[in-house]
Amino acid sequence: MRLLTHNMLACNIKGVTKGYPLKIEATKTEEKETDFNAGFLRHIYPKLDWKALREAAASLGLEELPEQVEPSQLEDEDFLRRFHHVLLEIHLEEGALVCPETGRRFPVSKGIPNMLLNEDEV
Amino acid sequence: MGGDNTPLSNTLASVLDNLSTTSSGTLFGIVAATGIVAATGFALTFGQAEVKGKAATELLKGTSLREDEVKEHWEEYDKYFQQNAGEGVDEKQKAPKLVDTFYNLVTDIYEWGWGQSFHFSPAIPGKSHKDATRAHETMIADLLELKPGQKVLDVGCGVGGPMRAVASYSQAHVTGITINDYQVKRALHHNEKAGLKDLCTVVQGNFLHMPFEKESFDAAYSCEATCHAPKLTDVYKEIFGMLKPGGLYVSYEWVKTPKYDKLNPEHVRIVDAICYGDALPEMRTYLEIVDAAKEVGFEVVEERDLALPPAGPWWKRLKMGRLAYYRNHVIVSILSFLGLAPAGTTEVHEMLYKTAISLVEGGETGVFTPMHLLLCRKPETQETPAVAASA
Repeated sequence: MRLLTHNMLACNIKGVTKGYPLKIEATKTEEKETDFNAGFLRHIYPKLDWKALREAAASLGLEELPEQVEPSQLEDEDFLRRFHHVLLEIHLEEGALVCPETGRRFPVSKGIPNMLLNEDEV
Repeated sequence: MGGDNTPLSNTLASVLDNLSTTSSGTLFGIVAATGIVAATGFALTFGQAEVKGKAATELLKGTSLREDEVKEHWEEYDKYFQQNAGEGVDEKQKAPKLVDTFYNLVTDIYEWGWGQSFHFSPAIPGKSHKDATRAHETMIADLLELKPGQKVLDVGCGVGGPMRAVASYSQAHVTGITINDYQVKRALHHNEKAGLKDLCTVVQGNFLHMPFEKESFDAAYSCEATCHAPKLTDVYKEIFGMLKPGGLYVSYEWVKTPKYDKLNPEHVRIVDAICYGDALPEMRTYLEIVDAAKEVGFEVVEERDLALPPAGPWWKRLKMGRLAYYRNHVIVSILSFLGLAPAGTTEVHEMLYKTAISLVEGGETGVFTPMHLLLCRKPETQETPAVAASA
């Protein structure tokens, strides 16, 4: 799973109010090159929680993203390539996503996050 | 369909009979080889059932389950989905686990015999099944008025046929959720092959407890998937919560039509057989789905049965494919008998084969439709619930 997927996921265990963003525990990450598409990045940017993406990148020790993005940066290819790399090319293969409120771990195995809840959590 | 008495099916039946009476001891190897040749030859002679998602040989590997698990899963499934004459199953809340079991059992067979889109579509004169399927899927994007860069949720995405059509057609970003981990793997594999891995995401989760940030999607859809929910309002409520205010949701629902008469034993039998064979805890009426949507707060924009004339019959493909399904059934039987496909595979295939007959009956009598369109909007401003207001 990529950081784009991470950016959407939340822990919605019954009673949890701050289940987003999930912390990342990575035991294995992989880099997989994918085609650069500036239009896609410009479209998806306003849909992202930038702070969550920035923190996720930092927790994986990736290149730092700016705290805020100015509209002019979305025209700057250098920035877009960094954004592209962080959002789409880094894959969490093995590890877990951890709820910031409860510490509940959602395992990630072979790149697939298992977000199923147990009966006593719903 | 099972009663087809073509010379061919007789020949095969006798091949099978011979296999079952002579294959023992040292003869087994020879007979096994003959069986494989017969099955392969049969498959080659009659071509593909449909656009193939998988090769038949992949059934041999028991890819979604360990070999020894198939039989056990099958028995559990068979027991749970017995219907109470028109009233669905007992213990409806257990359905999600058993739906997961169902898709462990059938995903490979569906992909092999049907393709990557686990749903029906109206037949279009002069168009292939593939084109008709695609038209039914891209209509979702049109109804949702999707634009590039929007975030869309696919509720019960299966192996992702509709997801890929919607994403490539609209350039919106689609996130799919399915309860079955094997389907996640297949969907990711197909997304990558189709060059759509950046526009499509898949996670394993239960659509009754969505693992996403609230109000984070521009739109949502479900393609013949919410029928698996124990209680429709539970899944609609979750979808409602995931949508931004003003967001649209479209669903193709499996329902009993106005022609269904609960006092007609034939109607009850047909619908029960469909529920049993397709992992449905119950079948709702076309009125119940509208009520459920309104109950959770949706405005209903449009609702109608897409199967009604002039739409071409959605069950035509099932009928046309019957020789192919029979052929598949023979292949599966041979492979299972030879111990090459896991024990239980024959039972599962037989169930699907019988279900196909029930679905055709449902279509021909008009008591059932797998495509009642429901288009809803989450209101821009939500009314304050009465309880909260008085507090």
